[in-house]
Order: sequence, then structure tokens, then C-alpha cells
Amino acid sequence: MKRTQICWEDVAVGDALEGFSLDITPRRVALQVSGSQDWYPVHFDPGFARKAGHPDIFMNTGFLQAALVRVITDWMGDEGFLRRLRMEMRRQQRPDDTMVCKGRVTGVRLEGVEGVVELDVWAENEREGVTTPGTAVVELPRRRVERTLSC
Amino acid sequence: MGEGTAKQATTAYDIEAVREKYIGFETAKATGRYAVERDPIRRHCHMVDDNNPLFIDAEYGEASPHGATVCPSSGWLALYFASLGPWPAAFEPLFPLVPTPGKRIINMSQEVEWSRRIKVGDRLSVVRRIADVYQKGVSLDPEAVWIVAEAIITNQRDEDVCVIRNTLLTHRTPEEVAGGAT
Repeated sequence: MKRTQICWEDVAVGDALEGFSLDITPRRVALQVSGSQDWYPVHFDPGFARKAGHPDIFMNTGFLQAALVRVITDWMGDEGFLRRLRMEMRRQQRPDDTMVCKGRVTGVRLEGVEGVVELDVWAENEREGVTTPGTAVVELPRRRVERTLSC
Repeated sequence: MGEGTAKQATTAYDIEAVREKYIGFETAKATGRYAVERDPIRRHCHMVDDNNPLFIDAEYGEASPHGATVCPSSGWLALYFASLGPWPAAFEPLFPLVPTPGKRIINMSQEVEWSRRIKVGDRLSVVRRIADVYQKGVSLDPEAVWIVAEAIITNQRDEDVCVIRNTLLTHRTPEEVAGGAT
């Protein structure tokens, strides 16, 4: 079944992107390595991480990026296009954290006929607050433009 | 290790020489060994429970306006298909190419600018470039070195796909900092 498609005209500054949460369990750490194919031990070997001066292992960039991209792609539908994503790894998501990922619309504008939306997206946890802030620019389909669209 | 040794070690690392030699350094174009495949996309989605059918349901993707399974907009996955994976990688990560006092690394930020979607069956290539190298201390290491690395990804039609920009912090371990190692 086709997913619901949001259109540029449906969006207003301040709208929330629903997001999701994930518990950082040992299974999730293993999924992180499998899914990212990132074999740098600071992300799965506590001894290596502590020797480097970190309190524990922490989740890698590929995992965090996949999470923030999911917040956006869940929201923008099949016909949305992610133009740009910038994210900063300021703090860490570690084992036993619950990572919560969310987003918010910060800007809506037209570039010619293109409907453009600016977003804040981020990952947070109870231990450190926002760990991974990001900004994104997305193109959404428009209702009033004559194209083969679903909205 | 005494103070004199630490001082000698500190002066041994010449950030200006490193900047002059490496900023602007660009690799030859490397092409991923395999075309963009479904299973790495499925594993990538699984790590964050991303059930988007555009990414993991072949029939859904083919019936979509894109006509194929789409790869999530992840710079990480783009680099994977362009050369860093599947094992063995076509090249080593950029980090060891630039000499740094510490061999530990943290990715501090990543920016990806997309020109088009990646679809299953695409064949990706990458050119990597050192955009900047500078020294700026952090609490972990007062002599930490930062590397800004870019990866320009293209597809089988030589069309731009995305540009990825990572800011990497390289640092020594606390033990190495205490010993003044470089």
C-alpha cells in the first residue's frame, strides 16, 4: 500500500516531525556494526574506548545518520527529496541510553517552482540532552504544480 | 617520560608542514566493487528499525515513481557502495594518510549535499579530498589535530550524486598525552 505523501502546502513552521526512540542495548550495538560495517573498536570494544579516554563505547556516525535520515524520510514520503543534512556529534549515545530522535520545521519557502522546507533534527537522551543536533533541507512535491504527484 | 622528551616530541610535529603537504590532496577516482545492492541497504535500515518500503521492499520500490529500490539518503551508505565496503575496502580511510600525533579518531560532524537519489543497480565512484587540517586542543588532547575530508560521489553515468564533508578529530590516548607521545 502506498504511503501517505505530505505536500509543501501542508507544512508550516513549527510543525513537529514525529520521530521515534531506540534503546541502546547490546543487540542494538551489534546491529550498528552490522548495518554500518564500521569496525572501529571505539564503537563496540569498551576496553579500547576507555583507553582512548571515553567513559564507554558510543554509537557511530553511520548509526546516528541513519536515525536522523529516518526521522526525515518517514515524514517526507516517497516523493520528498533530502537535499542536505548536516549533523554534529557533540555528545554520545552509549549503552543503556534510550535515544530519542525528533525534528521540527524551521523554514518553508519556494525556489522557483520547488517547494523547499528547512528542518531541525536531533537525537537526544535523558543523560545528556541533545547529543546530535542537525539541520536539513528537503524538497517536497507541490499540489498546484502540474506534475504526476500523489498529493 | 620527562619534560624534555615531551617538549622534543611536541616540536617534532610540524602542523604547518602537514597543512602545506596535505590540504588539497585528492585521491584518484575509486569505483565500488559491486553495484548498489539490496542487502546492505536492508542491514542499514535494520540498525535503526527503518521499515520504509521504498528501501526494503523491492516490489514497492519498482512500483514507486522512482522505479527501483531506493537507497536511504545516508552519506555513510553512499561511501560504502563507492568503495569503503564491502570488505576488503578499495582503499584505506583518509585518516592514516595525514600524519597526526594521535591515532584515535572521533567524527565530529558530517554534512551531505545530495544531487540525486541512489537506486539499487547504480555503480558509485568516489574522489576524496583533504579540505583542511588544523591543530586545536580539546580536553582529551591539547595537541589534537582536526581533518576536514570531502568525498565526491558520482554514479555510472558520471552524474554527481552527493558530496560528503566530515570533520574528524584525531587525538592521543590519555596515557600518550601524559607521556608526551607524538
